[in-house]
Amino acid sequence: MITFKNVTKEYPPKTHALAGVSFRINAGEFVSITGQSGSGKSTVAKMIFAEERPTSGQILIGDWDISKIGRADIPILRRQIGVVFQDFKLLPKKTAFENVAFALHVAGESGKRIREVVPHVLKIVGLAEKGHRYPRQLSGGEQQRVSIARALVHRPKIIVADEPTGNLDAITAREIMELFTRINDFGTTVLLVTHDRDIVNGLHKRVITLRDGKVSSDAEKGKYLLT
Amino acid sequence: MRTFFRIIRFAMQSMLRNFWLSFVTVSVFVLTLITVNAVIILNVLANASVKSVEGRVQVTVYFTSDASVDTVKSTQSYLLGLSQVKDVSYVTAEDALIAFKETHKSDPVILGALDEVDGNPLGQALKIRAYNAADFPFILEALETPEYAPFIKDKNYNNYESALKVLGNFSEKIRIGFLVLALFFGFIAMLIVFNTIRVAIYVHREEIGVMKLVGANDWFIRGPFLLESIFYAFIATGIMAGIIATTLRFANPYIVAFFQGVDVDLVAYYSTNALPMFGAQFGILAFLGLATTAFAMRRYLRV
Repeated sequence: MITFKNVTKEYPPKTHALAGVSFRINAGEFVSITGQSGSGKSTVAKMIFAEERPTSGQILIGDWDISKIGRADIPILRRQIGVVFQDFKLLPKKTAFENVAFALHVAGESGKRIREVVPHVLKIVGLAEKGHRYPRQLSGGEQQRVSIARALVHRPKIIVADEPTGNLDAITAREIMELFTRINDFGTTVLLVTHDRDIVNGLHKRVITLRDGKVSSDAEKGKYLLT
Repeated sequence: MRTFFRIIRFAMQSMLRNFWLSFVTVSVFVLTLITVNAVIILNVLANASVKSVEGRVQVTVYFTSDASVDTVKSTQSYLLGLSQVKDVSYVTAEDALIAFKETHKSDPVILGALDEVDGNPLGQALKIRAYNAADFPFILEALETPEYAPFIKDKNYNNYESALKVLGNFSEKIRIGFLVLALFFGFIAMLIVFNTIRVAIYVHREEIGVMKLVGANDWFIRGPFLLESIFYAFIATGIMAGIIATTLRFANPYIVAFFQGVDVDLVAYYSTNALPMFGAQFGILAFLGLATTAFAMRRYLRV
């Protein structure tokens, strides 16, 4: 599903964010990528949705080589991947409903389908009654749920979550992780980028650990290895 | 098509949800249009006034006392044959004397001098009106023939000529002044639109980033900004049309009364020319808005 082949990312003059990273994530897997700040874990996430390009190496999503993806193809790629961020990245002038619907609008879905699907997805994330609220009227946990609903709504095969619990308290973080686990149970591949020890250890799923831009460990049912 | 309608909807939504930014932009557009329409109204009034004065201008050709009635009548026929001449009226020597006395009734020196002269010192005269005051030099030149010139004593045109020149210069200067003002306001409007869009892009930079992350393509992001500038132009033109219609409805009777005798009906003028005039104003404003927005986006929007 996702394949990194000897991927390197350099920032001038001589900073290596990633140095020869290789791994493969199969369809339906739940993988945590961990590492300390500056280890390159967020760069991996950004490369998957083409916000960053590798300096060398190859990245495949299915059979699609996105290493040298053209500008015009980036929106097409992003419509097939759901992305969740630490800071939620919601549109502040749109309601929760409109934020979720926006992902379908850009994909050209019909109004009828949007009116059917969005309330359903909001219900899945527990916000059925709060669709009319603007982000500022929602708590941090609720905003993250809207963000997850937006990532889910176009039924992507992959969800990339970059530090999704970083701005949340422990209880809300656990609720959000339960949501990701449920999404994974439906067959969606989930790539979680985090440095939260408790979350990683509580998942009992595959863990890829990065250190100085290199894969230092890749373990099935792994643990948070960093001190 | 579906995407296009969505872009329209998002543009309208953005306008409403950024109300004050939209309000300021539309206000500056309206101010610009007010100046432009002031120039147009002034132009209409100035043209009507000049035409009215031109219509009243008549040149009087005085004949010598030995010119026969036949000579004068023949001159009249000759003048009426010229395409530039609108009308030629014949004045007898007696009528000329009565008119002269009437004109100078408050000047005892002239009236006294007239009494000292035996008989009627004035000859017959022809009063000439032209379609266009600028043709008078040609008409008077046409009288400089051996057949008529010896019988012509005097022609009084110069006073009118200088009055017309003064009026023409005055209206031209006012027109240029307002035009400069309109250009100035237009320039200010462009700067404000540029700044508005720049601020909008700055304010929305995170939003734009989010749109990109969920897969919006270039035009889905740029489209609403471009459409907003067209909507601003449309709303401003609509408001301007409303202001003009309301103002003229109340002011037109006073304007007509002020320009007594001059054919100025601004309501009729605007009614006849409303579509092309406001259409052109909308078109130019929309073009300026689009150009400014495109420039601001090129500079500040990295999609």
